[in-house]
Amino acid sequence: MTATAEQQQNPLLQGLRLRRKPEPCVLVIFGASGDLTMRKLMPALYSLAMRRLLPDRFAIVGAARSDESDDEFRERMKEAVQKYARDEFRDDVWEGLASAMYYSTLDFSDAAGEDRLAQRLTEVDRAHSTEGNRVYYFAVPPSAIGTLVEEIAKRRSAEGWIRLIVEKPFGRDLASARELNTRIAEHFGEGEVFRIDHYLGKETVQNMLALRFANGIFEPIWNRQFIDHVQITVAESMGIEGRAAFYEQSGAVRDIFQNHLLQLVAISAMEPPIDFTADSVRNEKVKVLKALHTPGPKSVARGQYGRGFVEGQEVPGYREEEGVDPGSMTETFVAAKLYVDNWRWADTPFYVRMGKRLARRETTIAIQFKSAPHPPFEEASTEGLKPNVLVVHVQPDEGVSLAIGAKVPGAGMTIRNVHMDFLYGGAFRTGLPEAYERLILDAMLGEQTLFTRTDEVEEQWSLVDAIIAAWRRDRPAFPNYAAGTWGPVSADDLIARDGRSWRRN
Amino acid sequence: MSASTVLGIERELAELRDAASAPGQAPNQRTSVMTHLAWVPEKWEDAAEKTLAGLAEQHPSRTILLFPRPDDDDELDMDASVQCFAFGDRAVCAEVIRVRLCGARSRHPASVVVPLLIADLPVFVRWRGMPAFDEVFDEIVDVVDRLIVDSTEWPDGKLEHGYRELAQRFDRTVISDIAWERTERWRRELAGAWPFDAREISVTATRAQALLIAGWLRSRLGHSVAVEHEPADVVMSVYVDGKAIEAPPGEPPPPSELLSDQLERFTRDPVYEAAVRAAAD
Repeated sequence: MTATAEQQQNPLLQGLRLRRKPEPCVLVIFGASGDLTMRKLMPALYSLAMRRLLPDRFAIVGAARSDESDDEFRERMKEAVQKYARDEFRDDVWEGLASAMYYSTLDFSDAAGEDRLAQRLTEVDRAHSTEGNRVYYFAVPPSAIGTLVEEIAKRRSAEGWIRLIVEKPFGRDLASARELNTRIAEHFGEGEVFRIDHYLGKETVQNMLALRFANGIFEPIWNRQFIDHVQITVAESMGIEGRAAFYEQSGAVRDIFQNHLLQLVAISAMEPPIDFTADSVRNEKVKVLKALHTPGPKSVARGQYGRGFVEGQEVPGYREEEGVDPGSMTETFVAAKLYVDNWRWADTPFYVRMGKRLARRETTIAIQFKSAPHPPFEEASTEGLKPNVLVVHVQPDEGVSLAIGAKVPGAGMTIRNVHMDFLYGGAFRTGLPEAYERLILDAMLGEQTLFTRTDEVEEQWSLVDAIIAAWRRDRPAFPNYAAGTWGPVSADDLIARDGRSWRRN
Repeated sequence: MSASTVLGIERELAELRDAASAPGQAPNQRTSVMTHLAWVPEKWEDAAEKTLAGLAEQHPSRTILLFPRPDDDDELDMDASVQCFAFGDRAVCAEVIRVRLCGARSRHPASVVVPLLIADLPVFVRWRGMPAFDEVFDEIVDVVDRLIVDSTEWPDGKLEHGYRELAQRFDRTVISDIAWERTERWRRELAGAWPFDAREISVTATRAQALLIAGWLRSRLGHSVAVEHEPADVVMSVYVDGKAIEAPPGEPPPPSELLSDQLERFTRDPVYEAAVRAAAD
């Protein structure tokens, strides 16, 4: 029964704030021995438990290849929560969560293992009255997902609902993404599939929607008439952190560009949705992705970091990292000029750059407005004055800042840039939830707005495939930027050719 | 440092903000999401200060504590302080202004409050204790967007009168009652236990909470509900037609969290208003 229908029948429900609390369910985590489970998923579940946002009847079943008992799994997860959770560790909260936590050893290609898992889930259902509802979280490589999905479908019972949460990368190119989509679609509807791009779970990314569509002052100037260009930066100062096997296969274009970066472009450029339902928002995003193009190979620069210094400490080059091929041609940096071919954005470049071992960790969306058409001041008084820039700081220092020109106090007329800052955590000091908390909760609730749809993923891969196809024709001299800098010279050239420059360079 | 004029207090606040910034560092950020007034008669001073301590960091705002001292000699005395909270390499500062309204000055508080309000942001007042529902109270009601009371702080024998007075002001400003908020966990359980007839209930709680739960059931179910009350500091149990309602899980939220929750809501609550009207019957 829907909440509204229930409220109509039960006169006492009206006015009570109905909490976003999901129905009873079991969360099954494939890849429970992995880093993601320890660093992100379990701390997120703990934070949800702390805020009493998990279902009243709930259980977690971890599944992975390694042999482990329930108790060993609980102990390992406890250590993970103590180390990585944003909240203080409370025994009572942990005991509540751990008492419904189980582990099942599972070789993903072994049908008998799947049977054992299914049997275990039936027992857990009985013990916790979870009514056969399941959320399956695939924290495993894309190659393992298809088989798992088919095994789950084979054992699907008539009772309860199923939701599949699929981690990125969703495929490694358009063909493999389509194949995976097709395999999933054979057994599950789009409404049952939750493709995670954890950037969409970040408060500040959602705040971009609030900034644009809850304020009357921005939308009228959010177009080619007033905006000179947009710069999006997803910079990390860290290296590959022991993930050589994964990174050698993906590189920056598959790791960040295909998903996080293109989602940031879509959210910055999309038209206002008619409402905040999943399909309305995703329809508008997919229109942007369909309209995206790069104007040619010279509009994309790639790089790989060499030895350098980060925060004063010498760090190895990419090719010197453990597990990396000494002659690797994997890119750790990508910069590109993109155009959105529609009425709002025609001829307005979106310069994007992302990479590892850059000068600092920073994710920003900077909207640079056109200069004032005719400042009536003497040239000397406005020396160095830059156009207005509206910057959305996604991380760190979450917030929004606006650079404006202001008169320097005193005699004469000297104008300088000043920043007006809104610090997100300064005004709303409740502690920003981790993206995974929001996304796991939304998946349990069946709310898909912050998850990517089949067509979005395929449009993203189309653009990436076009970029990678052009790369096959040349062989850049890697490494071409020192760790701790802002990337290769070719990235500076890319934007300099248009008479512009990257911010903070 | 204290001041006796609004201009003086504004100057003092500017100096305090400057002084709070470390030399050579970026200036601290003044952040406000509202003006938060508190009307604090002498007996409620400690409780008000404690709640403020738990609240200021969560809702950076300009807080104006009004201490009425009608029996003192005529005087207006104000002092200001800036509370800064670390935020990355900077600090976010909120302002607290303490205003002592002595003698005749306590009779026209709006004339002191209005020039101190932050423009364009919502104004909330937390009225400690039972209002006199007089001109002074109405002056404040007319300058705020939301009035928050806690009828548990009112004398038991005056509750029905107080609810009738509140109901007369529902069209003038948004009103909420922390005593009502404290019953929410129980109302949720009652809603879960419905359907029932509820001709009589027995509530172990403050009298305010017992009356509000009864008023809520009367207004929602559309018939009279007799209430039997056993005194307790918090809601301990509710029986409907002799049958016990299961206690809600978890601990009740602390006072600062309850107030904090109120400060995030801006619209009238017709269910609460109907409950108050029915509670006064």
